[in-house]
Amino acid sequence: MTAGIEVTGTVTTENTGTENVGSGNMSMGKWVKSGAPWVWLNAAAVGVSLLLVIGLLTLIAGRGMGHFWPAAVYEVVYEDHQGQRTRLAGQITQREQVTAERLLESGILVAEGVETVERILLKTGNRELGGEDFRWILEPGILRQTKPLSFAVLEREEWGTFFGRVIGLKQDGQVLESKDVWSDFQLKLARAADLREQVRKLEKGDIGAANYRIEKLRLRERRLQLDGVTDKAPYDELNRRREGFQAEYLHLEEQLTGLSGAINRDIVIMQTSDGTEVELPLYTVIDAWQPNSMSGLEHVGHYFRKVWAFITDDPREANTEGGIYPAIFGTILMVLLMTVVVTPFGVIAGVYLKEYARQRLLTRIIRIAVNNLAGVPSIVYGVFGLGFFVYTLGGSIDRLFFEEALPSPTFGTGGLFWASITMALLTLPVVIVSTEEGLARIPLSIREGSLALGATQWETLWRTVIPMASPGIMTGLILAVARAAGEVAPLMLVGVVKLAPSLPLDSNYPFFHPERKFMHLGFHIYDVGFQSPNVEAVRPLVYATALLLIIVILLLNMVAIHIRNRLREKYRGL
Amino acid sequence: MTQTKALQIDEQQAPAPPVTVIGEDPVSIKVEDLNLFYDDVQALKDIKLDIAKKQVTAFIGPSGCGKSTLLRCFNRMNDLIDCCSTQGRILMNGQDILAKNIDVAELRRQVGMVFQKPNPFPKSIYENVAYGLRIQGVSKRRILDETVEWALKASALWGEVKDRLSESAFGLSGGQQQRLVIARAIAVQPQVILLDEPCSALDPISTLKVEELINDLKEQYTIIIVTHNMQQAARVSDKTAFMYLGELIEYGVTDQVFTNPQVRRTEDYITGRYG
Repeated sequence: MTAGIEVTGTVTTENTGTENVGSGNMSMGKWVKSGAPWVWLNAAAVGVSLLLVIGLLTLIAGRGMGHFWPAAVYEVVYEDHQGQRTRLAGQITQREQVTAERLLESGILVAEGVETVERILLKTGNRELGGEDFRWILEPGILRQTKPLSFAVLEREEWGTFFGRVIGLKQDGQVLESKDVWSDFQLKLARAADLREQVRKLEKGDIGAANYRIEKLRLRERRLQLDGVTDKAPYDELNRRREGFQAEYLHLEEQLTGLSGAINRDIVIMQTSDGTEVELPLYTVIDAWQPNSMSGLEHVGHYFRKVWAFITDDPREANTEGGIYPAIFGTILMVLLMTVVVTPFGVIAGVYLKEYARQRLLTRIIRIAVNNLAGVPSIVYGVFGLGFFVYTLGGSIDRLFFEEALPSPTFGTGGLFWASITMALLTLPVVIVSTEEGLARIPLSIREGSLALGATQWETLWRTVIPMASPGIMTGLILAVARAAGEVAPLMLVGVVKLAPSLPLDSNYPFFHPERKFMHLGFHIYDVGFQSPNVEAVRPLVYATALLLIIVILLLNMVAIHIRNRLREKYRGL
Repeated sequence: MTQTKALQIDEQQAPAPPVTVIGEDPVSIKVEDLNLFYDDVQALKDIKLDIAKKQVTAFIGPSGCGKSTLLRCFNRMNDLIDCCSTQGRILMNGQDILAKNIDVAELRRQVGMVFQKPNPFPKSIYENVAYGLRIQGVSKRRILDETVEWALKASALWGEVKDRLSESAFGLSGGQQQRLVIARAIAVQPQVILLDEPCSALDPISTLKVEELINDLKEQYTIIIVTHNMQQAARVSDKTAFMYLGELIEYGVTDQVFTNPQVRRTEDYITGRYG
């Protein structure tokens, strides 16, 4: 994105170039000499790059963000090439032209003289009924196509989307008399959502916390055993407390059972396009809408609600549904932690190399080595992180401080902290080099001025030189952040997982759990796109996640650039 | 904030200019057989020189004659150059300031320096002047305010900047910046002030102001000035040293050196035959 800003200047030079060239009967040699071809060449290169970037963003945004739009549901009567008629309902996700030749090869007859046939990918949902939720149909096979107003789209906790008509409601096994089924259904849906939220709170919050405390007690007991404490009193104390927690736990479980009774009360009866009636437990329905009867404004509202849910919800169904909040959270937290680690190390190393070390052969070799480190493939850092940080350091930490938890590792396995440190190592060369360059730009006269006032070299550095070099240091950090946020390969080795049970920040003491595994947008793209069983269904999610990754990197960069510009403003005039 | 505080100080309450305690000895700095080398190249040859206390001494000579190098010996600025080595002694208050065990930072507090180009720090006017004091660990607002005001007054800048002390020093003109740098140097109350071609980057009016300032400052400080401009040397200095190719050719009272030079080379240089 930043490239876009730099481009404008070059485009202006292109215009002046045009004037030069346009002046008419200039000879070829003169034209080459004037430098105009160079201007053209540069402008063309910039133009192509710009076009590529814009094209990329448009593609990603178009493919990804279209997914959340409440597309119309069509009901079609379809006759396939064997003459079988079916009623289908679904959303059109893709249209493409297929040559008649290819169809003939797969044994489908095409009318004489037809060159290409349009093929439509229909998202039909209802995976538990038909086995597949996407279907290719040929345009000529569509006998009738309608947009029934009453057709509803149901977003469910499992089995993907459901398309059908809401025809009735059941409560405690009894069919309810209802004048307006749809609005009653909406009311019950709101109740189910409310209950689901309560269950989630109980499971993740209270029961999670109780489990966490019981586990803590178990570790304390193990610790006592390891320390060889034979006195009974501390064990009794622990047991007493455990009984308290367990009572609490049982109480919570009772509440949960009570809730699930309430939650199972309602059932919605759906009718699919081919007339099959299906009963769905209402609590599995997350959202329902009738796209064909929605107004334009409702479409827009629905769209933004879905985008928001995508950003703020947890993933469901092996990441193929739901949101990506934990991945966004993990990415940002990892990058911030990395910045905290890499800044002091990089700046101190850069200052030493530039200011204190004598500029001899050894210093030069070290500088070359640092520069080369920036070119080491990132997966190598991942391997190093796994071998050194995770197994060696983490293993030692576990043996020294978390013996009670063994054999299950605490720090001896990948986690947020190790991932951040590995990324810090990966970006360290960039920060060192930019620190050195930033320091080199500070004029000697400023240093002399400070030294001449009786400041030591350290005071000169700390009070004057480093603050003045800080915009340059920030430039290095910007590059580091951009690189770390987009990196995936090393993270797979040192702590990223496809689904993390809990965030590294939560309400359980000590609140910040750097040893936990975390989710990352880059890895999420890989996982959703290439490890998921239902490729068609998740393709838009891959694009949407990619777009969000770009936005997250952009935001992180913009924060850093903003800080740098403020520093520049403060120390300008140099 | 700093501005208002500084302004609150009444003119009458302004502190008396600090008096440097000095002995009766009129010699401030004594250079004894000084030789200086950049690797194998000898830049200063057997310099012998007595700098008089509370007088202005000017070093003149063609480019590359070693006058700046000599000046930078007095506050050990040459230490910054790795390949530079010295022989001989420079005595100040009876101490050899070239000795290894000298606290260089302390020496530089005693011997302030102003450079060819104004080099204010990217800080406010106030913080520029207070820099040396802050280095020394002074953090009392009252002392800082008073010293800043006194130093700016002493460098004839107070009237021009008193309303914008908290603004960036880069907003000042070149001449003002150079006087600010002088104020910064005297704020730490040194004994000696070294001026390395202080007016070479300034316009004539600013030059005149700085020269007037030098005239005022010599009441309090020993001043050594390196200059290319012989009229300037004649105008501001009490004594003049002419250097050529690392050697001190002639040293004497300015009037004498300019009107009746004892050495042929000096005369040639002064009359513009070379250099």
